[in-house]
Amino acid sequence: MKIVVCIKQVPATGADKRYTDDLRLDRNGVEAIINPLDEYAIEQALRLADDGSADGVTYLSMGPEQASEALRRALAMGGDDAVLITDPALAGADEWATARVLAAALDKLAPDVALMGMASDDARGSLVPGAVAAMRDVPLLSYGAELAVADGTARVRRLSATGYDWISAPLPVVATVTDQVGEPRYASLKGIMAAKRKPMETWSLADLGLSAADLRGAALTTVTDTRPPEEKPPTERIENLPAAEAAAEIADWLAQRKLI
Amino acid sequence: MSNDILFLAEFSGGKPARSALELATGAAELASQSGGAAVALAYGSGAAAGAAALGAHGATRAIVLGDEDRPAITYAPAAVAASRDAGLAVLAPATPNGRDLAAALVGTLDLPAFGPVRAARVVEGTLETEQATLQGRVITTARPADGAPTPSIVLVLANTFAPAEGGSGSAEVSEAPAAAESALARASVAESHEADAKVVNLEEASIIVAGGRGVGSEEGFGPLRDLASALGGAVGASRAAADAGWIPYQLQIGQTGKVVKPALYIGAGVSGAIQHRVGMQTAEHVIAINKDPDAPIGEFADLFVVGDLFQIIPALTDEIRRRKGS
Repeated sequence: MKIVVCIKQVPATGADKRYTDDLRLDRNGVEAIINPLDEYAIEQALRLADDGSADGVTYLSMGPEQASEALRRALAMGGDDAVLITDPALAGADEWATARVLAAALDKLAPDVALMGMASDDARGSLVPGAVAAMRDVPLLSYGAELAVADGTARVRRLSATGYDWISAPLPVVATVTDQVGEPRYASLKGIMAAKRKPMETWSLADLGLSAADLRGAALTTVTDTRPPEEKPPTERIENLPAAEAAAEIADWLAQRKLI
Repeated sequence: MSNDILFLAEFSGGKPARSALELATGAAELASQSGGAAVALAYGSGAAAGAAALGAHGATRAIVLGDEDRPAITYAPAAVAASRDAGLAVLAPATPNGRDLAAALVGTLDLPAFGPVRAARVVEGTLETEQATLQGRVITTARPADGAPTPSIVLVLANTFAPAEGGSGSAEVSEAPAAAESALARASVAESHEADAKVVNLEEASIIVAGGRGVGSEEGFGPLRDLASALGGAVGASRAAADAGWIPYQLQIGQTGKVVKPALYIGAGVSGAIQHRVGMQTAEHVIAINKDPDAPIGEFADLFVVGDLFQIIPALTDEIRRRKGS
């Protein structure tokens, strides 16, 4: 059973982020990390390798050349090899274009499970995994708090409105996992050294049999404007008051806004 | 191509989700701008019987994709058949089920995707959306690229549209067109487990009282529940509180929990870490109650009450009950 974990390099949480003049995320001088939610997908894949359910873990990323650093960091946690898809025509790719490219790469890698994080830190649509599943015509098992694979079937434990369900589908599948799979492991020094010797390939669009025209300028959407959020009035503070008086002030505040 | 605005209308246990009512009204608003009709794509148990009543909230027509409780993604083939060349936009709730179906539409029909948005409109025949990006520091306006296929897929945050009430209209109901074979239909529920405690759907609450690490224990949520009940709201939590097992994960707000947009959010003992903030930053009013005068939540709350939540919250509950005369 072979797993491909799709990971995305993103600006560090809390980094000073901004848009460039052409309304794309400015990545210059911003510390880049593995999307934190993808680390849970890595951890889930490595657990399946540890318990013998998986016999191969490959990482796949699409991004600029520096995204190879994210792949090296993943390889330091464990796993076997990695593929970076990088191409100038992919700059500014939207969710549809990203899914198109990942689907083509997964067609080539043909894993039993394509595993992804539930969302990325820098864009919050969470549509790429489902779009990839639809493009490859394989089942989608999403938002798993846990992923199990046995006898040609994958299952995820997913929160329901009133509890949780185990949702299953025959392999191959696209699956996504949440932060409930367990804390991602740290890379050991030995792991970091070993990662340097693990194979990493770089593919262009042409290697996937895709052209820039297939991706329609890398996006079906266009950002027409960015602006700061509406100015909020400064925070009002209630301090050093006995509880009953503080409560009365809060209630007045709520009443003024017709919230009670 | 028509100028219709479609929307996903989820049903379960015989009833429409609140998102279905909100999106019915939102779709009607956009349809009035585009010169089309608001069309429901209704799925889940109760959809067949309940679809017509979406007319009271703004839907002109309703297409029933299916009427069983099964994984939402398995309705993708029917949703695809009903959406193909079917209008200007499909509105989907920004929930796990809504995202799964939206993604299937994007991937199967090669459609532009937006969101989660906090506003949407049709300007001179073109869809325009507004989204908070970079952790709320930037508001981005986006449109379909020139010549992009339709319909556009739009993930919509809860409470972006207020459901119109008091309408008496009835939507014209039809069955979904025949769907193509798809592997997406192969997911099924293998086992179902009920949680120990009954949990509410936080995305539907207009008032939320959320507890964080400062609540300290499972019992510590008692006073928060009392306040929520006095306000007619629901209790939520930060990840720290859910991880500690004080409250079910269904009630977790944040990056990996629910994304909520209530009229009022009260955070008690919640520090306001960025991962929590992205789940509630679009709340209309934010009150924070925290012992730590330097807690990050103080930077973005509208009202910051510095003090002991175990004294202030019961006092506030009493005060509200007194004013409501109950």
